[in-house]
Amino acid sequence: MIKTKIGVILLLFFIPLFLFSQKHVQFDSLFNKQIKTKSEKFKEDLNFKKAHLFFVEKNWDSTLVYSGKQLNNAPNNELREYSLYFRGVSFKNKKLFKEAEKELNKISSDFEFYYKVRIKLGEIAVEQKQYNKALQYFQGILKETDKAVYDLKKSVILHNIGLCYLHLTKFDKAEEYLFRSADLQKAEKDTLLLIGSYMDIATLYYEQYKDQLAIPYFEKAYNLSKNVKSFELKQNSTMNMAVIEENRKNFAAALAYRKEYETWKDSLNDQNKVWAIADLEKKFAVKEKQKEVNILEAENKLKAAERNGFIISSVLLLLLLGGGIYLYKQKNKTSKIILEQKNELDILNAAKDKMFSIVSHDLRSSVNALKRSNTKLLENLESKNFAALDALLHQNSAITNETYNLLENLLNWALVQTKQVYFHQESLHLHSIVEQVQYNYTALAANKNISLENSVSIDEYVYADLDSLKIIIRNLIDNAIKFTNPNGFISIYSRHSDNENCCLVIEDSGIGMNALIRNSILNPAAIVSKKDKDEFVGTALGLQLCKSLIIKNEGQLEIESEENKGTKMIIILPQAK
Amino acid sequence: MDTINILLIEDNQEESDLLAAILKANDYNVVGIASTYKEALVLFYNNSVDVIIIDIYLQGKPDGVAFAETISIVPDALRPFVFLTSSKDREIFDRAKLTKPFSFLIKPYNELELLYALEMAVEKFYEQQNVLTGKTQNAVVSDKYLFIKKNKALKKVRTEDISYVEVEDRYCNIITENEKFVILISLTKILEVLDPVKFIRTHRNYIVNSNKIIEIVLSDNLVILQGNYNVTLSEKYKDLVSKFKILK
Repeated sequence: MIKTKIGVILLLFFIPLFLFSQKHVQFDSLFNKQIKTKSEKFKEDLNFKKAHLFFVEKNWDSTLVYSGKQLNNAPNNELREYSLYFRGVSFKNKKLFKEAEKELNKISSDFEFYYKVRIKLGEIAVEQKQYNKALQYFQGILKETDKAVYDLKKSVILHNIGLCYLHLTKFDKAEEYLFRSADLQKAEKDTLLLIGSYMDIATLYYEQYKDQLAIPYFEKAYNLSKNVKSFELKQNSTMNMAVIEENRKNFAAALAYRKEYETWKDSLNDQNKVWAIADLEKKFAVKEKQKEVNILEAENKLKAAERNGFIISSVLLLLLLGGGIYLYKQKNKTSKIILEQKNELDILNAAKDKMFSIVSHDLRSSVNALKRSNTKLLENLESKNFAALDALLHQNSAITNETYNLLENLLNWALVQTKQVYFHQESLHLHSIVEQVQYNYTALAANKNISLENSVSIDEYVYADLDSLKIIIRNLIDNAIKFTNPNGFISIYSRHSDNENCCLVIEDSGIGMNALIRNSILNPAAIVSKKDKDEFVGTALGLQLCKSLIIKNEGQLEIESEENKGTKMIIILPQAK
Repeated sequence: MDTINILLIEDNQEESDLLAAILKANDYNVVGIASTYKEALVLFYNNSVDVIIIDIYLQGKPDGVAFAETISIVPDALRPFVFLTSSKDREIFDRAKLTKPFSFLIKPYNELELLYALEMAVEKFYEQQNVLTGKTQNAVVSDKYLFIKKNKALKKVRTEDISYVEVEDRYCNIITENEKFVILISLTKILEVLDPVKFIRTHRNYIVNSNKIIEIVLSDNLVILQGNYNVTLSEKYKDLVSKFKILK
């Protein structure tokens, strides 16, 4: 007997829960519509939208997360209440009843779906076995159902109240409400709920040991359950019948019901299994599809990567090609320039080598002449031929002078070439400078009976480097004396050409030169290799030196000459300001 | 008119003898010949020196430049100088030219080159370039000396010895107690340089050394100077009297 009683109690528990869940399925539609419109209204509230989506999907954890975010971020009152409701429901479904109650209590009574809140609160009270509290909620709602149109069934509320009374063992009240519920359901032809109600009524009587009253309801429920598809209802009603028959010691019937119960249970299981298999298959299919999709995606990615790689590599190749062509052109250009410069350098270098050989040859012959002259000098000294000594000594002196000048030019030329020379342009008094240089040549000119005259204007100042100007004038005077026959004249004078420049002219009545020689002197790589007169050698170096020094002083060299009449060497230099 | 005092700094006896001979021949006074840096400093501080000729290298070391550097940092010690060198080595020139004013002479040189270099040194030192070689002027004027080119040589006159200056056309007659000479210089130029406290204008054509004044005779428009010179005092410049404290 005790055993069976436990079974009934178990049934009792099972049935109300079953009813609650059914209610959800039926009435959530309206609410869902409402929140959908809300979430559309507040599109920018992504958190609310997500919370709503997860709520509909019954993914309670995610709903909690997003509704929590929504509460923290956007204090929109309307959405706040929806969010609180989401949280309450989610907590309830996660069996965290206290949390759920807390959240639901925060919702104000102005909330559009406040009755839903109260239902939830009532359900929570039932779960927590606070039946009196639950009764308060339910009865409150019951009163309001008359006033407004609600998307909930009065019968359900009535049923819930009945159940609460049942739990509180107030059987008379329970009986009243359960019957009201059953009547309503009968009127609404809601068989499923009606079966539940009948079973609850039966249980009510059974609890009070009013077996006679209970059994017809159990049978009614059993009979009705035959017509419905719900295996669970069938199973429960059959089980109830089996328990009753067992208690009536009608074991054969009980056994039959038991068997039937087993079959229903099996079919329920089967159904569950079928569902589970179908679900699995579905999942599998989805997985397969997903895999396919993944593979396709991967393929697409691969293709895109390939394409990108191709584009990048072709661009790189083009760049490389362009760069290569550019570099090649550049290289060609530079090598052309280098070649030109090399040729130029080769010519200049050859000229320099030639000059060196000429200069050394000249030096050797000078020193050789000195040697021979010295030998003669010694011989004459031994033979005490003093008359010859004077001439020889003069000759020696002339040779050394010439050699010294040559060496001086060589040194200066080397210094200019290697850019080691100190170079400082300043204002110079041309007359004084010419005078100073001329001073060294008075004796030489007098020897050849050449008149050497300085008539440079006393007002001329040129802007030049002192030492290089002296070297230039020295060389030109030296040449003039060399190429002028005895009794000739050399005149040095200035010509004030314009406001910028000053011309210094060194004119002689010498042998002159033809156009060929003149041009070859002015040519940068020129070497005068004419060796028919010894004196010619050396002019090359001296004139080259003059030319490079004049250029360095920003001046110019001009030559006016006629053969056998004379030469005018004209140096054009900038005036001192 | 005095000769120019020259200090030679040259370690080569032969060179310095030649140099001294040329200078003497051209009426310059060689006050001493130093062959080392130390000797040079001693001679420099114990003599009145107008121009210095310095050999850059003394015993192979560039002590000549060192000497020039030394005197150029002592205030009022710097004199016009000429560097002597046998090479145009840029390195040593770059160091030497830092001692401004910078003029140089490259060996071997002749007499004219030496004299020209001395003149250049004086011109550059007193920043009156192209003066001695030109047509319009033949004197370098400073507040202590007038350097006058007479024939080929340079002479000096102490400005405090001048009694008065008389302007005549483009020339100035410089009159001292014992001498009188003519230089080619404009009055404005000479006024620019002479100390305006010492030298006072008494007439369009006269500048008088105030230290030489003995008596001013206002009634005769005369200024009587030492050496028994009489200079005209014109109306325009009579307020010069106010510059003196008059005893009554």
